Amino acid sequence: MLSAATFVLALGAVVACAAGLLVDDAGHWPWRAGAVLVGLVLAGAAVALLLSRFRRERGAIRRHLDVVGRLDPWTFNRDDVESVFPLLETHHPLHEAANRARARFLTLCEHLQDFEHAQAALEVRCRRVTAERDRIRAILTALEDPVLAIDQFDELLLANPSAEALFGFDAEAVESRALAHLVRCQNLIELLTTTSHREVSQSRSDEIEILRPGGESGWYRVTATKLGPEGDAAKPADSAAAASGVVAVFRDIAEKKVAQRRNAEFVSSVSHEMKTPLAGIKAYVELLADGEAEDQETRDEFLHVIDSQADRLQRLVENLLNLARMEAGVVKVDKKSRPLNEVLEEAMGVVRPAAEAKRIGLLADLSPMYLGVLADRDMLLQAAINLLSNAIKYTPDGGRVTLRSRMVDGGVRFEVEDSGVGLSEEDARRVFEKFYRVKKNKDMAPGTGLGLPLAKHIIEDVHGGSISVESMLGQGSTFAVTLPGSGQLS
Amino acid sequence: MTYRVLLCDDEIPILRAAEFKIKKAGHEVRVASDGEEAWELIRERMPDILVTDCQMPRLDGLGLLRRLREHDETRHLPVLMLTAKGFELSAAELAERYNVLELIAKPFSPRYLLDTITRVLDGQTVET
Repeated sequence: MLSAATFVLALGAVVACAAGLLVDDAGHWPWRAGAVLVGLVLAGAAVALLLSRFRRERGAIRRHLDVVGRLDPWTFNRDDVESVFPLLETHHPLHEAANRARARFLTLCEHLQDFEHAQAALEVRCRRVTAERDRIRAILTALEDPVLAIDQFDELLLANPSAEALFGFDAEAVESRALAHLVRCQNLIELLTTTSHREVSQSRSDEIEILRPGGESGWYRVTATKLGPEGDAAKPADSAAAASGVVAVFRDIAEKKVAQRRNAEFVSSVSHEMKTPLAGIKAYVELLADGEAEDQETRDEFLHVIDSQADRLQRLVENLLNLARMEAGVVKVDKKSRPLNEVLEEAMGVVRPAAEAKRIGLLADLSPMYLGVLADRDMLLQAAINLLSNAIKYTPDGGRVTLRSRMVDGGVRFEVEDSGVGLSEEDARRVFEKFYRVKKNKDMAPGTGLGLPLAKHIIEDVHGGSISVESMLGQGSTFAVTLPGSGQLS
Repeated sequence: MTYRVLLCDDEIPILRAAEFKIKKAGHEVRVASDGEEAWELIRERMPDILVTDCQMPRLDGLGLLRRLREHDETRHLPVLMLTAKGFELSAAELAERYNVLELIAKPFSPRYLLDTITRVLDGQTVET
């Protein structure tokens, strides 16, 4: 506790004082007084030395405490600790306490460093998870197919913008996230909830009609897949609960439904067209078999009907086969340079009886020039017949059908104009679609919806030309065909 | 017994075959090639039975049936439908909505058509 100098001074003071006070010699009082005075001086010096040391040490402690007080709890490190708590020598009175505190602070420093590392790692992970979430959200947003997910309580987990548009809600702003509140389609709710509550995580799908917010409905194939780590025992229970539920993907099958309906209509139409001549054949065969025709003339008449009905049936079957073969690309195309007008005149000859039966004026306005065309004769004839007979079919009795031909830049053109029922804008757009028949004109004449598609296939796909229609409802239509020319022949 | 039969079909060969068979059995037959023409003939003189096709120009079979059932004088006219239409038409629905007695599918047997006409009309005569 005491330094050597303080000890010597204190000892000197005691000795001097003792000498001055304890020597029993009155005659020498000045010496005794002097000894006491020296003792007192030495004592004063020892106290002064002690006080100075005390002040010094108190100052050092205050400085250290100031340093500790100014330490930033988030940044203090090993160097700070070492400067605040210097290693004290073993004989220092604060040696043990100071070193213990120093060791504690150093441990704290290490923990703080570990914490900082963990925090940095967590931040990196957070950024990665956020980026991944944003990427998944961007993918879901980009998907045209609506996607919807619900949790195990049948409440909305997520919905991409397509799903929000389909069901008319905003996933961020809905009051209730209950599926039954957001989705009004009972079949869909049933599909999702039964998938969610099944034991096995097998996908289930169904074709469902969904009423859109605008009031119109659409058909979707909905595939519902159960979420969750089925059979993954390694995952903790919390994670399993967080991931359970169902995700549903909606695929618009409107086109498929339209194709199905058109196909059914086509089959129905074809069967009707086939049954009609068959009905004639069967009826007249039965009349003959029952001996109803008593004279030869009647028998000949019946046989003639049977023959013509068989021809009709054959034509229909050939038409169907032609289209199928052309589409499959198995028809041999024999393209040669030919005069277009010759083919057109032949086509007119074929359809003339049908026009006469309806008292329709069939007019030809053919170019006097030679219009050469590189074409397969039979195919081009078929296309021209189809266009002319279509015009005759949909022109009321007593109307007019005109066939024109002329030369145009880089090719030849022929047009079939009629004074018929005309087409609406939508019908004009769709009239070349296979199996499409204008609904309100359907009963006007029998047909399979194959004549115009076949003509378009022959003109565009086989001959590299183009076909179009201009029409005014109630006033008639003009079908125009342009074909590449084959040069002028003398 | 002689009945007045009205046949309506836009397919002339079929119309003629049915007409031939029924006429030969001694009945009176008139023919129409579409619904409008049939309606005119019915208004002119009421037949005992109508045999009609479905798909016809101007006025089709269903349109003719609707018109017949809307008018008091033709509401109870017995009708047979003779059609090549397939799955779009159901005999039960036609019977319920338009009181069509029977749907005869094409190709058909003229003999069966005649039998059906006489069966239906003889039955009605017995009832009355």
